[in-house]
Amino acid sequence: MAPRLPARCWRQLQVPSSATTTTTTTTTTSPSSLLLTSSRSPLGTSLSLLPHTTTRGVKYGWSTLSPRARPTRFNQVTSGIPAPSTGPAAALKRRENTTPMRSGVLAIKKGMTAFMGKTGARIPCTVLQLDRVQTIANKTRADNGYFAVQVGLGERRAADKIGAPMLGYFEAKGIEPKRVLAEFHVRDKSGLLPVGVQLMPDWFHIGQWVDVRANSHGKGFAGGMKRHGFKGQGASHGNSLNHRTIGTTGPSQGSGSRVMPGKKMPGRMGNQRVTMQNLPVLMTDNELGIVVVKGCVAGPKGCVVKIQDAVKKPPPPVEFIEKSKGLLRERFPDSEEYLTAARARHLELKEARRQGRIADLLKLDHLVLGEGAEVEEAQEQQPEASA
Amino acid sequence: MNTAPHSLRPLGCLKAGLRQARQQRALLCRQMATTTSSTISSSSQTAPDHGFYKITDPKTQRLRSAFAVYSPSAIATSPSALAPLIQPSTSSNPSGALARLIVSPASPDPLPALHQVQIKRMDPTGARTALFAKTRHAARVGDVLMVTHRRGGEPFAGVCISIRRAGIDTAILLRNHMGKVGVEMWYKIYNKNVAGIEIVKRRAKRARRARLTYMRQAKHDMGSVSDIVFAWKKTRKVMTTRGGGGGGQRLVVVLRRRRRRGSRSREMREGVGERRGRGEGGVDGNRLCSCYLFC
Repeated sequence: MAPRLPARCWRQLQVPSSATTTTTTTTTTSPSSLLLTSSRSPLGTSLSLLPHTTTRGVKYGWSTLSPRARPTRFNQVTSGIPAPSTGPAAALKRRENTTPMRSGVLAIKKGMTAFMGKTGARIPCTVLQLDRVQTIANKTRADNGYFAVQVGLGERRAADKIGAPMLGYFEAKGIEPKRVLAEFHVRDKSGLLPVGVQLMPDWFHIGQWVDVRANSHGKGFAGGMKRHGFKGQGASHGNSLNHRTIGTTGPSQGSGSRVMPGKKMPGRMGNQRVTMQNLPVLMTDNELGIVVVKGCVAGPKGCVVKIQDAVKKPPPPVEFIEKSKGLLRERFPDSEEYLTAARARHLELKEARRQGRIADLLKLDHLVLGEGAEVEEAQEQQPEASA
Repeated sequence: MNTAPHSLRPLGCLKAGLRQARQQRALLCRQMATTTSSTISSSSQTAPDHGFYKITDPKTQRLRSAFAVYSPSAIATSPSALAPLIQPSTSSNPSGALARLIVSPASPDPLPALHQVQIKRMDPTGARTALFAKTRHAARVGDVLMVTHRRGGEPFAGVCISIRRAGIDTAILLRNHMGKVGVEMWYKIYNKNVAGIEIVKRRAKRARRARLTYMRQAKHDMGSVSDIVFAWKKTRKVMTTRGGGGGGQRLVVVLRRRRRRGSRSREMREGVGERRGRGEGGVDGNRLCSCYLFC
């Protein structure tokens, strides 16, 4: 049986015959075939076999979707089909309720202490310090597929060997290189923040709930008893050398003589991200830069933690959110101009680097400002310091 | 592009004219854009202060690249700060530079400051702090202490085995025997439930350990301190009767408010005494009786 050819193949075969037989009745043929007939090469039929309107190929785009799933005007929401339950838009919609309205902050765990109440209650609490926390970038739905605020903490010294890509990244923002960067997903565009502003502890208000995430203490390679709370085995009754072993790892031949996937076994324990949910904020202090939360937080002292509004509690009141945003604007009124200026400077420097002028530039600057001799430099620096 | 002569298409020239006008409009716009870009370049003249981070080749030590770094330390060390590329003449004018004030926390370790604030709030008179300060007259490990609770109940006395100093969370560990069973109690000294801590007896010689955990061993165990406490109370009562009036001469009285409270506190104290009478009646009833008679 001969293969069934699609229509677009045999239509091309038909065209020349119709053109030769009925040269006058060109009106019946389609416009594309009309074009073909007018610009036909003397080679004739052999060329006309090739597809003339290219629809496939990398440069025309490609899709792994089945033809039915490809977007056409019939399978759109506008033609009455319900909105898809999968895909980026659906995912964002689904996570709307569990995504905080505003960004969180990075902090360093400083240790635990207690609050003594007036009635004799003792509340254990954890002190988290915000060290020069700045917003670095915004991620948007259009560009990145989700809304998020990138936040940085602390400072990386020159001795820390920062790579050129990151140096360029921070140069373009006009921000000092940060020790840690992290992203905080936010619900929508209203959660985005101006770039380069500092987030202080008063970003949170006393009494609100936060989720605090950190990596737990690493315990190294731990056995089943420590890692998963297995019982272990008897000390006696003929037991020998198997007091803390995990015992059997599964049934025998009847179940295929195999170990089930996910079987709890000895292995690396700790150093995993642990989220403490719904911790109340007991105190914030801008001067000390601390947020004090009730209860404990995973990880050793000095570890980096992420603090964000609690997912499972109502968000802070709208008035408070507006107020804290207003504070940011108040403290950094010219953040836009600063960013623009830093970006312009970055472009200049980038061009200089591309052209290999950066070394000359540094030398030039030394000549202009330093004037060669160190004595003069010291003399110049002294009045600066006094001023 | 239309290349037909004007005679064939009379409106063609109009079209060309319009097109020229459109282009000129675009040009004008671009001129405005260049003016705005000039303001950008002016803002780059007032670019924020920065230093340079140099990347050198590890082998040849040659400069490979350099990046602007906007940290205060880098600005302070690098003399090449404030040197715009376009007009170096304006580099000596730092006044126009944009600045962004990023505040670092007052101290890298906020806990001591936090403790200070808390202690001031919980202990305004400073008596609790003074009692466990590292001074000559303060209570030390090895002393017999008695802790009085705010909500009544029997005061707990025992030998102080250890003092865990942790700011507001500072605690003491007292050890005593109750019916031949060793009992240890932790007390937070800044807790409001601790109404008072009194030194019953000082250790004869200074302990040479910070924590006297060896006192848990049978060989070193002090046993019950009830006798010591009883004797101390007796002397106190004597002094009270001689001195006349409430209170008496305590070695250290932490919470003065309680004494001033008057009748209620006295009742409470009597209540405590009664309970003790009942509880320890079997052990040393006559002594207790004598105590009351003495009073």
